[in-house]
Amino acid sequence: MRIFKDLNIDFLGKRNLFYLVSAAVIVAGIASIVFKGLEFGLDFKGGTEVVVRFPRAVEIGELRGIMRNADLGSVEIKSFGGETDYIVRTELKGEGSKISDQIKVTLDKAFTEQIEVLQENRVEAKIGAEIRRDAVIAIFVALIGILVYIGFRFKFIFAVGAVAALFHDVLLTLGIVSICTGLIPGLNLEFDQAMVAAFLTLVGYSINDTVIVFDRVRENLKLFKTSPLEPLMNKSINTTMARTILTSATTMVTMLALLFLGGEPTRGFAFTMVIGIITGSYSSIFVASALTLDWAKARNAKITF
Amino acid sequence: MFRIILILAFIAFSGYLLYPTWMDAGHQKSLSTLTGADSAKYYDDNEESIRDNREKRLKLGLDLQGGMYVTMEVDVIQLLEKLARNQDEILREILAETRNESKTSDESVLDIFGRKFDERNMRLSRYYGNIRDANSDVMTYLKDESEKAVERAVEIIRNRIDQYGVSEVSITRSGTRRIILELPGVSDEREVRGLIQETAQLEFKLLTDPQVYYSVLENIDKVLLGKTIDAAGGDSTLAAVDSAAAVAAADSADAAKRREDSLASATMTDEQRVEKFRQEHPFMALLIGTQSGYFATEEQKTRISNILNREDVRKVIPEDVSFAWGAKPITFDDGTQAFQLYSLKARPELTGEVITDARAQIDQGGLGANSVVTMQMDAEGSREWARVTGANVDKQIAIVLDNAVFSAPVVRQKIIGGNSQIDGMENMEEARLLEIVLKAGALPAPVEIIEERTVGPSLGEDSISKGVNSFAIGLILVLVFMVVYYQFGGVPADIAVMFNVVFILAILAGFRGTLTLPGIAGILLTVGMAVDANVLINERIREEFGAGKTMRAALEAGYSRAFPAIIDSNLTTLLTCLILYQFGSGPVQGFALTLMIGIVCSLFTAIIMTRVIFELTLDSSPNLVKLG
Repeated sequence: MRIFKDLNIDFLGKRNLFYLVSAAVIVAGIASIVFKGLEFGLDFKGGTEVVVRFPRAVEIGELRGIMRNADLGSVEIKSFGGETDYIVRTELKGEGSKISDQIKVTLDKAFTEQIEVLQENRVEAKIGAEIRRDAVIAIFVALIGILVYIGFRFKFIFAVGAVAALFHDVLLTLGIVSICTGLIPGLNLEFDQAMVAAFLTLVGYSINDTVIVFDRVRENLKLFKTSPLEPLMNKSINTTMARTILTSATTMVTMLALLFLGGEPTRGFAFTMVIGIITGSYSSIFVASALTLDWAKARNAKITF
Repeated sequence: MFRIILILAFIAFSGYLLYPTWMDAGHQKSLSTLTGADSAKYYDDNEESIRDNREKRLKLGLDLQGGMYVTMEVDVIQLLEKLARNQDEILREILAETRNESKTSDESVLDIFGRKFDERNMRLSRYYGNIRDANSDVMTYLKDESEKAVERAVEIIRNRIDQYGVSEVSITRSGTRRIILELPGVSDEREVRGLIQETAQLEFKLLTDPQVYYSVLENIDKVLLGKTIDAAGGDSTLAAVDSAAAVAAADSADAAKRREDSLASATMTDEQRVEKFRQEHPFMALLIGTQSGYFATEEQKTRISNILNREDVRKVIPEDVSFAWGAKPITFDDGTQAFQLYSLKARPELTGEVITDARAQIDQGGLGANSVVTMQMDAEGSREWARVTGANVDKQIAIVLDNAVFSAPVVRQKIIGGNSQIDGMENMEEARLLEIVLKAGALPAPVEIIEERTVGPSLGEDSISKGVNSFAIGLILVLVFMVVYYQFGGVPADIAVMFNVVFILAILAGFRGTLTLPGIAGILLTVGMAVDANVLINERIREEFGAGKTMRAALEAGYSRAFPAIIDSNLTTLLTCLILYQFGSGPVQGFALTLMIGIVCSLFTAIIMTRVIFELTLDSSPNLVKLG
C-alpha cells in the first residue's frame, strides 16, 4: 500500500497561511489559559483527596450536597472514570489522616452501602511548589539540550527553527488542553506530574519528527549544493511525508488505545499525547522548516554542509 | 553470522532475566489455588525457589499492586530550637522567619538560618557551641547534627518497618532531610502512620541465664513434637523454670540426655546424628548454635518468629522471658549472614528516657585505637544504672530499640555517675549506629509526613487489567497496520517490535526496576515509536528500489541512508527522557526509565534484527521480499 507516492506539494509557499493558523490557535489557547486557566491537580496544589467507589451509580450533585455540609472548606468533586467512582478533594491539610478520615466518615454517614476507598492522597503545598518548579526547569533544560544537540549535529540555524517549533508545539498543546478542560465529560485534564511527563514526551516526539525532515534537508543540501533552500526543503518535506504520517499514525493508535482503554489514571496523559502528536507532526511539516527558512532569509545566511 | 549470534544471545539473556518472573507467576498461581495446610506445605516444599524467584522477578509498582508511598521530612527548625543553649526573643524570631522562608525557598534551612544571623551581624556562638567558635565552625556542627538526626530517623523507621514485617519495603533518602518510604501491599495506612510517628522505645534488658534459655528451647521442641511438658507440667512449669531447682533439674536432665546421645552416637555417622537431632529438636535445628549464642539465617528468621508467636508455643515461654532478634546480621567465617536470637528478661532494667547524650569516639587508651560509644544519664538514671550494673557484673545487658537488640555489652564493673563507655565495636560505623540508637529514645527532631499516597488493591488490579488491555490492543493494531502497509516489509518490523517489548521487560527485571502504570504507557509509546525506525528504513528501501536498484542493493542503501536520521531522532528523544528522569519523581521516573530502555532496545531491534531477517529471507526465498 502506498498513500504518498510522488507527493509534490508546495508547503513552504503557503507558510504565511500556516503561521496564521498557528497564531490563531495559540492566541485562542492563551486566551483560554488567561480567562479559564488550567486545572491544577493535587500534585501541584496540595491538599487531601480520597477516591471512592460506590456500589451503584451516584449523582455528582448529590455528592456535592453531602460534602457541602461537612465543613471541609471548598470541596471539589469530580468523576473518576465511571459513574460510580469519584474524587473528593479539598485543599485542607490536616494532621495525619484527619481530613481524609473526615471525608470517609461523612460519606459513610450519608450512604448505607459499603463505600470502597480506591486511593487516598495527601500532598503538602510545599511539595506541590517543588513539583511545579521542577516541571518548568525540566522543560527549559530539555529545550536547551535540544538546541545544543541540533546546533551541533546540524547548523545553529536549524536548531533555532527546531526549538522555536517546539515552543510552538508546547504552547499550542497547552492551549488546546486548556480549551478542552471541562468540555469533554469524563475526561480529567488536570495538570499533574503525568501531564508534565506528557509535555516532555511531546517535546521529545516532536523533535524526533522535525529531525527526520531536517536530516533529509541536510542530505539534499550535500547532493544539490547549488539549489536554493526553499524548493529543496519542500522536496525534503514531501519525500519524508509518508514516514511522518505513518509514524504519527502508529504512535497515535497506541495512545488512542491508552486513552479509551487505559483507565482514568493515564487518561490525561494519553489525551495530551494525542494532541501533542498532531501538533508535533503539524509543526514538523508546516512550521519548523518554514521558520528555519525565514530565519535564514532574514539573516541572508547560506547554509552548506 | 556475528549478528545472528548477537541476536540469539540477546534473546537467551532476556529469557534468563525473565525466567524468575515466569516462575514466580507459577508459584503465585499454585498458591492461590491451594488452601490452608496444602498451601503451607507447598510453601515449605518450594521455599527456596519461591523466595529466589520472588526477589528476581519483575516487580510491580505501588500503583499496580496497591500500597503506600510516604515522603517524610525531618523538622530541622525544631532541632535547631532544641539544640540552642539558651532561647530568647531574638532566636525565636529568627527561627520563625527561617520557618516562613523555608516554605517557599530552595535554600536549605540551615543556610537560611545562617544568613539571618549574618544579616543581623550576630554570632551563632551566642546560642550554639563554644562562645569563641567562629560562625563557620558552628555551622559545621549544626549541619552535622541535622545530618545525624535524619540518619537516626531512617534507622528508627527501618527498624520499625522490619518489625512490622512488610516485604520489599524501600526506604530511601532524598535531598538533605527527606525520607521516602514505599510499602507495597500495605492497606492499613493508619497502622503504618502510627508506626512511623511513634516515639522510639529504647530499653536496657538483661539477658536470661543460658540454662534458662536452653530449657525454653527444649520446651518449644517438645511442643512442636506434640509431647506434653514433663515435670510439673502445664502452667506450673512456667513459674518453675526460672527457679533454681528447675534449672538444675533441666540441667541434669540435659546432661543425662547428652550422655545418652553420646552413647548412641558412637555407632552413628555424623549425618545420622544430625538427622537424629533434627528429628528430636525440630525447633533448635532451625537455629545455629555457637559459643556466643543462637543464630538464624534471614530465611529461617520469619519461620522462627512465626513459631515463637504460636499460641501453644507462647504458653511454654515463661512470662518473664522475651525473645528479640539482633538488629544487624553477623557474618560468620564461612560468609553466611545470621541474626542472633536473644533471650531477654521481659522487664527492662532501664528505659531510654534517662539518656542525656551519647557519642561515638575513638578510645586511644589501652592497646591502640578502639571505637567506643560513651553515654551520659541523668541523675535518677545514674542511680538506677549503678544499682543494675553493680548487681550484674560480668553479665550482658542488651540495648534494645523497638524490640531489636543493637548491642549486648558485658558489664565490667559497677558504674557510678551515669557515665558509661561501651566498647567491643568492630569499627566507627558500628559505633555511630549505636550512638544513633542511644540517642533515639526520643527523636530530637520530629518527622513530619509531607506526602502520602495510598493506592487500594482493587484500583491496582483495575489498573493492571486496563493497562494490559490497552497495551495488547495498541500492539495488535500497530502490528496489523505495518503488515497491511508494507506487506512482507512489515514482518521484520513486527518481529522486532515484539522482541523489543520482551527486551524492555527483561532489562527492567534485570535492573530490579519496577513496572508502573506510567511504565506501561511508556512501553506502549515505545511500540508506536519503535516502528518509526523501520518506517524510515522501509520508505528508503522503496525509494531506492523505485529508482531501479536491485532489492539487495536497495536494502543495503535503505539501511545505510536511514541510519543518520534514526540516530539523530532517537538521541534527541533519549535526551528529553534523561531530563524527565532527572527532574521527575516516582512514577514519572518509571515512565522515563522504560522509555529510555525502549529507545535503546528499539535501536538494536530495528537496525540489526530486522536486517538479519530481511537478508535471511532474501537468501532463501527472494521472491517473498516485497514492500508493497
